[in-house]
Amino acid sequence: MLLTQPSKTEEGVTAALTAVTPPPRAPRRPGARRLLGLAWILPAVVVLAVFVYLPLVQNLGFSTLEWDIYSGSQEFIGLDNYTKLVGDPIFWSSLWNNVLYAVISLAFQVFGAIVLAAIIEGIRNDRLRRSLRAVYFIPSAISLTVAGLLFYFIYEPNLGLLNYVLDAIGLDALAQPWLGQESTAMVSIIVMSQWQGFGYSTLLFAVAIQRIPSELYEAASIDGIGPVRRFFTITLPLVREMTGLMIIVTISGAFQVFNEVMVMTSGGPNNSTQVLGTWLYRNGFVRNDFGYAAAIATVIFVITLTIALVQLWINRRRRVEW
Amino acid sequence: MHAQRFTALTALAAASALVLSGCAGGNAAPAADITAEPEYSGTLSILTKFAGEPLGPYFENLAAEYEELHPEVTIELIQETDQSVKDKTKTLTASGALPDIYFTWAGNWAQNFIDGGLAADLTEVIEPGTEWGDTFGEASLSAFQVDGKYFGIPLYNNGKFMGYNTKIFDEVGIEVPTTFEELIESCAPIRAAGYEPIAFGNKDGWPALHYLQQLFAYNVPSDVLHADFSPATATLDDPGYVTSLEQFKTLVDECTDTGTGTNGVLYSTAQEALAGGRAAMYYQEILEFDTVTAEGNVVTPEMFGIFPLPVPEGAKGNPGAIEGSPEGYLINAKSPQAALAVDFMKFATSLENATVLSSPPYGQPSTIVGAVTPETSSAAVFDGITQVNEASELIIWLDTVTVPEVADAWLAGGEALISGGSTPEQVLESVRNASHSAE
Repeated sequence: MLLTQPSKTEEGVTAALTAVTPPPRAPRRPGARRLLGLAWILPAVVVLAVFVYLPLVQNLGFSTLEWDIYSGSQEFIGLDNYTKLVGDPIFWSSLWNNVLYAVISLAFQVFGAIVLAAIIEGIRNDRLRRSLRAVYFIPSAISLTVAGLLFYFIYEPNLGLLNYVLDAIGLDALAQPWLGQESTAMVSIIVMSQWQGFGYSTLLFAVAIQRIPSELYEAASIDGIGPVRRFFTITLPLVREMTGLMIIVTISGAFQVFNEVMVMTSGGPNNSTQVLGTWLYRNGFVRNDFGYAAAIATVIFVITLTIALVQLWINRRRRVEW
Repeated sequence: MHAQRFTALTALAAASALVLSGCAGGNAAPAADITAEPEYSGTLSILTKFAGEPLGPYFENLAAEYEELHPEVTIELIQETDQSVKDKTKTLTASGALPDIYFTWAGNWAQNFIDGGLAADLTEVIEPGTEWGDTFGEASLSAFQVDGKYFGIPLYNNGKFMGYNTKIFDEVGIEVPTTFEELIESCAPIRAAGYEPIAFGNKDGWPALHYLQQLFAYNVPSDVLHADFSPATATLDDPGYVTSLEQFKTLVDECTDTGTGTNGVLYSTAQEALAGGRAAMYYQEILEFDTVTAEGNVVTPEMFGIFPLPVPEGAKGNPGAIEGSPEGYLINAKSPQAALAVDFMKFATSLENATVLSSPPYGQPSTIVGAVTPETSSAAVFDGITQVNEASELIIWLDTVTVPEVADAWLAGGEALISGGSTPEQVLESVRNASHSAE
């Protein structure tokens, strides 16, 4: 009856639902509901505990050990590995490289990406807008390792495309062994990384901008507000949550960077492109100092956790609703 | 109070980690019995560094033949490259999952496994005088000898030589240099003829160490050099080190096209520059000879010659030393399949299989007596291995002969020297500090 002759009115729908809905059960006791809730989340909690929290605790423990992987002997040395960190110049230069990476990434992948997304979303031609989104997103679809290899060959001093182009347009004086010298290696890696990640951030911001009610832009246009002011007074405030999220993701990513450095320079030349991730790896897998590597891992964890907590706290206080 | 609480928490965390990791120090597996009669059943795991072409098929073919001979046996091959085998081995070691048979370099690399009780003592089956041991060159066996015991199965020998294009040398009108100074002098006319004198790529860091170790062997007295490999006895104050670093820097600046940018070039790119006829020389291992002259390359076996890196005038070390060492395999001391592992390695090192290994396309000069002949191997490989056998001393690679921390300091130092970031004195100082720290 309900299927063949659906009621159009609210009363009719209510009546029909009442006709097929069984009588309500007696409400569960609060204790039973809580247990059922716990049972539902238990698998996720177990997986998180085993694969995330347990390794974190283990890592903290390892960082207080001198660990010989060959004999298996583990000697408790307290905070010696952390003391060693303080006096290790390569640890500090690695940290600086991560900071540099974060700052440049913020400029390009957050603030640059918002601007680009706003420009793309402001284009009236549908086909052009979609094409541009795709063009900017394509590099993000390439694996970081592949992109690293690709740029390694672009930067190659003898046969690389970059030096070839510079030579072809008469700027051969600017040709460099980009990855082969301390002064240009780190920046060259960061440039590749921005190329790879820029489109992804732009796409996320484009989605956030699409969610802004068009009435706001229409009202602003009627009031004679220009595109630049519209960007600062409407777009920027209303994508604040996405901006906050992207800042966390970008900074955290900058402190976890590993693949591109390993593929392009392995931390060289002369440790000039070491970042915390590669310095951790080098100490663990090359120098056999797994305790010290665990101490570096703890530092990375503390830094990224702190950044995430601070950013979440700021965002919670400035939530935007419309 | 706070400090006490923090220390207590740290200790608690460490104790938890030990408990959680199951006190990874001990592995209760029984010691391998290498003399037992092998049971031809089960799975035998092998970690090689022969991944990729042209070496990959060698162990694949061996495994297939062995499985055919013993149908109840399954060979599980883990094939890695020269670079990735280092990480793979350490990961497997740290997780207590070393295969039954695994690749090793001579020197400190093998020493770690021997000291850690992870390499089976093979003395009873492989020492000189035993049936299997007598099939090997004795010097090769001794590369894995510690305290009178033999732990390794040397599979092939290796050495470092300057490979050169004889056609370019003829065209330019130069002879094979007999001193390091003559080598440097030859670079200008080669460049004037339109070729890169010496192709060199140091992206991975170790190619520079190969030059340095050979120069150290020439410039530093042998007893001093060997004492300096161990942090406990190292002083690293012989003037021969600075001389060697200066000579190396001269070679990079005057004989390579990339000069200070050499750190951005792959060694394989340099290898291709020689193979493609664009460069006159390339410093390489015997293992690379057949790759450089492979079919399709501009350089043919007839155009390819080798010579040891020439000795600098007035050098105070050993002029007869050649850098190189055998590479081989260890058997996991805790493997329940140790006897089967020995049997497989006997099969792998039979004269027939050793000859295959020594011949193109593999070109890995076997350590088995009689496997490398002018008939079975390329002329360059035979020449190289003959010179290695006749060398008054074999010097193991700098990045595997000493402890990792010191090797790493040499690696960074070599890169800094090339790029101009450090002077020879600064490089030596950083290595001294690393050695002191590792002591």
